[in-house]
Amino acid sequence: MSFWTRTPSRQPNGAAAPNGAAEMQKRRPSSVNARDAEHAAVLHAAAVMWEGSETQLRLVDGALAGATQSARSLRETASQAESVATSGEELASSANELAASIEEMTTGASSLASSIAETGASIEQTSRSIAAVAKTAAEMASAASTVASSMTEMTASVKSVSGDTDALVASVSEIAASAEETARTIESVRNNADDLAAAAEETSRSIRAMATATEQVSASSENMAGLAEQVATSIEETSRSVEGVARNAEMISRSIESAAASATELDRSMRAVATLTGETNEIARRTTRDAQEGGGAVQRSMEGLVRVRTSMAESATVVKAVGKRAEEISSIVDTINLIAERTNLLSLNASIEAARAGDAGRGFAVVAEEIRNLADRSAKATSEIASIIKGLQSVVQDAVGSTADAQRIAEESGRLGEEGAAGLKRILDGVEQSTGRIAQITRATEEQLSATQSLVTVVTAANTQVRQVSSATAEQNIVLQGLVRTTSQMRTAAHEVTQSMKAQERSSREIVGAAESSAVLASQVRRAMAEQAAVAVEVTSAIESVRRGAANTSRALAEQSVAGDLIVREADGFRRMSASVSTAMGEQASAAREIAQSSEDMRRQSDQASKGLAEQARAAADISKATGNIAKQIALITRANLEQSENANATLESLSELRRVGNRAAEEMRKTGLANALSEQARQSVPQPGHGK
Amino acid sequence: MTDTQRKATHASGTDSYVLFELAGATYALLSDDIQQLEMVGQPTPVPNAPSYVEGVVAVRGQVIPAVNLRARFGFPATPHDVRSRLLVIRAQGRTVGLIVDSAREFASITPDEVLPLPEGLTGLSGRYLRGIAHRGDRLMLVVDIRELLEIDANPIDTAPSETAMEPALLGAPL
Repeated sequence: MSFWTRTPSRQPNGAAAPNGAAEMQKRRPSSVNARDAEHAAVLHAAAVMWEGSETQLRLVDGALAGATQSARSLRETASQAESVATSGEELASSANELAASIEEMTTGASSLASSIAETGASIEQTSRSIAAVAKTAAEMASAASTVASSMTEMTASVKSVSGDTDALVASVSEIAASAEETARTIESVRNNADDLAAAAEETSRSIRAMATATEQVSASSENMAGLAEQVATSIEETSRSVEGVARNAEMISRSIESAAASATELDRSMRAVATLTGETNEIARRTTRDAQEGGGAVQRSMEGLVRVRTSMAESATVVKAVGKRAEEISSIVDTINLIAERTNLLSLNASIEAARAGDAGRGFAVVAEEIRNLADRSAKATSEIASIIKGLQSVVQDAVGSTADAQRIAEESGRLGEEGAAGLKRILDGVEQSTGRIAQITRATEEQLSATQSLVTVVTAANTQVRQVSSATAEQNIVLQGLVRTTSQMRTAAHEVTQSMKAQERSSREIVGAAESSAVLASQVRRAMAEQAAVAVEVTSAIESVRRGAANTSRALAEQSVAGDLIVREADGFRRMSASVSTAMGEQASAAREIAQSSEDMRRQSDQASKGLAEQARAAADISKATGNIAKQIALITRANLEQSENANATLESLSELRRVGNRAAEEMRKTGLANALSEQARQSVPQPGHGK
Repeated sequence: MTDTQRKATHASGTDSYVLFELAGATYALLSDDIQQLEMVGQPTPVPNAPSYVEGVVAVRGQVIPAVNLRARFGFPATPHDVRSRLLVIRAQGRTVGLIVDSAREFASITPDEVLPLPEGLTGLSGRYLRGIAHRGDRLMLVVDIRELLEIDANPIDTAPSETAMEPALLGAPL
């Protein structure tokens, strides 16, 4: 074995092989022909396997690209989680800072959207590569069926060769007849048999080299399968941590939704306060107007009271003057009364004198009587006047008293009016102060309203962003699930490749054995040829010998037929292998369809996530609590993102290593270059059976 | 009685009286006994005079005592006014001023109109009254001026002395 591996440069694709093939074509010994066909089948299998390896390599490339995308999106998620953490802290400190952080979050959301777009692009890329693989698999399957049909054809021709052997036996006599000619040619045949043996040895050597390369490829495949296992494990870990992130994002979304509900409630109550304040302001304005009108009325009534007081004073003066006049009249009346009394007195004295005078004084007595009557009448009149004056004086006294009362009341009313005016002034001042306060309240309420509005906006934006983060995480999760599936399929494919490599190894060993036996047969032929050559010397026993030789030839043909059957079986195996490869490709295609379906699911789950987010929003009962939760969960997310990043990096490293190994395997296969050469040889060997006759 | 009879012969059977008021009652006094009427001025008080003597007044150059008839008759005192009068009486050689509530009428009464006092009034009151004249619903107490002056005779006529006055004053009602 080491001999073959040590001389890989001595390849049979030089001029020697075609020459040998040409000579083989000229002579066309059927055993050699059968051996070539066997080699060609093996070479086809190798070429197909190499193609499969390359396809697997492309698959690994696709996975690597997907993993890179995933790692990038994970890094972006980590940075977003950090910005969310900052947002949470700022939300706790103040709503304004929250607004700023919501701005940042909005930016992050747009970048998240772009990363989602990139993820979609990578999915499309994966789908395209799978389609290409499927196409290649279809081509391979058609090639395998072509090989199978060629093999069948070859077997049929071998069988016809076997059938022809009887004819050959029958024509032994002809051969015997031409024994001499045969004997002559035997020598050259023997020489050719030597050449054939040498060629068989070369072929065997090449096949051993190929077997060695196949073993190396098999080892590489096993290595690759192990790496695929590691990749699958890393991706599964990543998927788990992404699920944790999705759960945390859902909790954040619930908290934020609750905060949004609270903020909306706050906004509503603020609006109610604003409406009430406006109404209060209107009432205060009306009150001001009424108070001002009342102040004017009080002023007017006070002016009226002043006029009343003045006229009261005037009337009091008049009444006092009347009283004084009445007193004057009274004194005059007294004087008149006194005069009347004196007149009466004088008339009485006159009467007394008249009575004393007797008859002489009678006329005088009458006059005195008259005078006394007049005096009595005037006294009576003055007494009436006096009583009238007395009544008048009491009326005047009453008028003076009531005027004084009215004056006092007017003054009191004036004082009360002034107090009322002062009270109204105070009311006006109070109302003005109230109006100022109301204006302040209105301004404060408006500011609060705008602040609440911005808070609502901020919380809504935060909600939207978290929803986007959640949906992005869900999409990442979906992508990772798809990646996990793809990786497991890759693992399965690697296992299958390894198995087929092993089978190839086995068949290669069988081929090596067959080649060695071919070499042995070749040496036997050489020996037989030598014997024939020896026998040919004896022409007389030639016919018998030829008969035996024909029998030998018949046996050899039977063996060749058996070998052909073997080759047919090999071809069948190859076809089955192709079919299995095709099936694997079909599975890959179905996997691609599953990925497409997964994208659909992703969209559906995104919708469900949106609905879930709506529910989450309702649950965010308290902004402060939510902020605390957010801070904690952000920390979790950051940790999870770190883990994810580490996992992603590990995945990347594993995939890179996988790719390196695949490249190395491919390189090695290219380096051996056996595939091309052997397929060349196969191409030259296989078509020959058609010209069996 | 004798005066009445004397006066009845005075002129054609009728006598002239001056009517005056005192404590709501009307009194009649013969105009012949009255010298004149005066307004009541301010009597000048006299020391140690009886309570009913308000003092002395000057009338036509003569100083006479002013007797408050209300006090003399035991009626409550009232302040003087424009209607109050001083009746200057001249009888039995004496001139006395009587202060009354008012005196405004001059009347002629026939002796027939003067009725004797009822039996119940013949005590102290009856000593100053000669009878009661009746005219319509109006009753006029006719004063016996001599009797009235007689009571005061001693205190007024004699020199005023406490011892001399006491029995007269005390003895008058008795």
